[in-house]
Amino acid sequence: MQLISLAFVILWAIAFSLYYLAPERMQRYVLLAASLLFYVAGLRGFPLGLPATWLTTYACGLWLRRELERERAALSGCSGRESKKEIRAAFQRRRRSAQILYLICNLGLLAFYKYAVIALPFLERLSGSRIGFLEHVMMPLGISFYTLTAIGYVVDVGRENCRAETDPLKLLLFLAYFPSVTQGPFNRYDRMREQFESGHAFSYDRMLRGVQRFVWGAFKKLVIADRLGIFVDRVYGVETSSVSGSILACATVLYMLQLYADFSGYIDMAMGVSETFDIMLPENFKRPYFAGSVAEFWRRWHITLGAWFKDYVMFSFVMSGSGRKIGKACKSRWSTYGKHVVPIMGTLLVWFLTGAWHGRTLSYMLWGVYYGVIMSVSLVLEPQYARWKEKLHIRDGRLWSFVCMARTWLIVFTADVLIRSESLAQAGAIFTAFLTRLAPTSLLTEITSYGLNRYDFMLLIVVLAVWLAVSVLEERGADVRTYLASKPLPVRWICYYGVVLTLLVTGIYGGGYDTAAFMYQSF
Amino acid sequence: MEEKVLEILGEHCEEALTYEGDSMMEDGVIDSFTVINVVSDLEDEFDIEIDAKYVVAENFKNKEAIVALVKKLLEE
Repeated sequence: MQLISLAFVILWAIAFSLYYLAPERMQRYVLLAASLLFYVAGLRGFPLGLPATWLTTYACGLWLRRELERERAALSGCSGRESKKEIRAAFQRRRRSAQILYLICNLGLLAFYKYAVIALPFLERLSGSRIGFLEHVMMPLGISFYTLTAIGYVVDVGRENCRAETDPLKLLLFLAYFPSVTQGPFNRYDRMREQFESGHAFSYDRMLRGVQRFVWGAFKKLVIADRLGIFVDRVYGVETSSVSGSILACATVLYMLQLYADFSGYIDMAMGVSETFDIMLPENFKRPYFAGSVAEFWRRWHITLGAWFKDYVMFSFVMSGSGRKIGKACKSRWSTYGKHVVPIMGTLLVWFLTGAWHGRTLSYMLWGVYYGVIMSVSLVLEPQYARWKEKLHIRDGRLWSFVCMARTWLIVFTADVLIRSESLAQAGAIFTAFLTRLAPTSLLTEITSYGLNRYDFMLLIVVLAVWLAVSVLEERGADVRTYLASKPLPVRWICYYGVVLTLLVTGIYGGGYDTAAFMYQSF
Repeated sequence: MEEKVLEILGEHCEEALTYEGDSMMEDGVIDSFTVINVVSDLEDEFDIEIDAKYVVAENFKNKEAIVALVKKLLEE
């Protein structure tokens, strides 16, 4: 079930009505029922994924809670720093073993679903017989998202940053919460629990704000992303040697915008739906194309995924026993650069895993490594950059900010060629085209030969300008919905009707009113 | 102790010493690399172990929170 579908709107409307009609203590069960309905409607193949993750997460959380209680009891009957340290270490080892077992089960399940299809030919060659059942294995809805969410919960319980949940249904709601189950954002249990537990009274203003955000997200998806997608798909779909470098460059720039409009559009819709239930999800985007560096770009793009990898992979690795040992050894061996070794190892690990999480092709692995290397090099060279900047008398200001932004766009542009290409060979051919047959004039003569006519481009210029204006306002700290609400009624309604009419008249709707699937849904 | 913590913090991020908000990590004042280096130097200086569970936004929201974290770990 797509978020932009009649079925979803009906589900949302029914859930919304029942939610506010139900007694406050029953509201979360309405959300749970809606989430399970949404999940079942989107099921593909045998539904092993979510129940398995839910039950193992619940059991592991309770076990960790019991272990932590036992540790506290042991510590209370003990004096002396050293013996306390020993007790802590012993309990920590037990907890770590249980968590590793849990990770093997859940990451194994994720890897099985993600990689079974590509592993099939190798397995068949190895066994010498056909493995029929693997052909029908399909990734369960949202498995990449709820698996990481569940792992985060278990790690937080083990770290005592979150209390283990004793109510299995509340935990199931957390994992399967329908606005965020398919594409995030990644929720943290300590922030969601309170919202699920407390009662929520109906508010017209909140409902309106939620619907506004949903419509804005749909606008980005249908008017911008899906329109850009027509051009991008057409250019990347034809034989690369028949397209000029400038058309390919234009398609890649539009792909950068398409991916952003598609994913942030989904997040706006998910957050809008959730806001109508008075459940606030964490922000996932903060105008990433205004970033002055790649590191900042990733602090603004898919924020909750970056935070997940930072908290649960980066810090876990760097502050593990092995991480500390390597760090100490490197610091004493190389006084200047030694301190960077472990953070760089952590960064490369995080980005390799980020690539593997996003896709199962070599291109995604390379994409991850590319970002990891760039971040690592930036870390080491940061003091050098500062010296160069001083020597060249470069002053901070608008021009320098723009140069930094343009540098970030170029890096992201290169990475996006890798993930948009069908293969590494195509990516190579595209980079070659940029360098050997740019033919800039073909941009003017051929741009309308790839699915979009001049009116489409004119519309795109207008809607992208509107989006840019909204982004600039937000970047300056304004809340656009509050800003609009403060305007006189005619201005407000012109804006609202403008967006809705543009959405209805110019949105890209597929046959039978099916819209194109969201891009991040496939990750 | 407090002076030493601030000195270490200042070595890695001067801006953190003048920051007056309460979400230093989210506001991008200190990034994860800085946090790792600060943690490493604090561990060496005070002979403490700062476990990953303590490396959360709450304990690094401003310089006072970092001082409070070191104080807590020293008392444990």
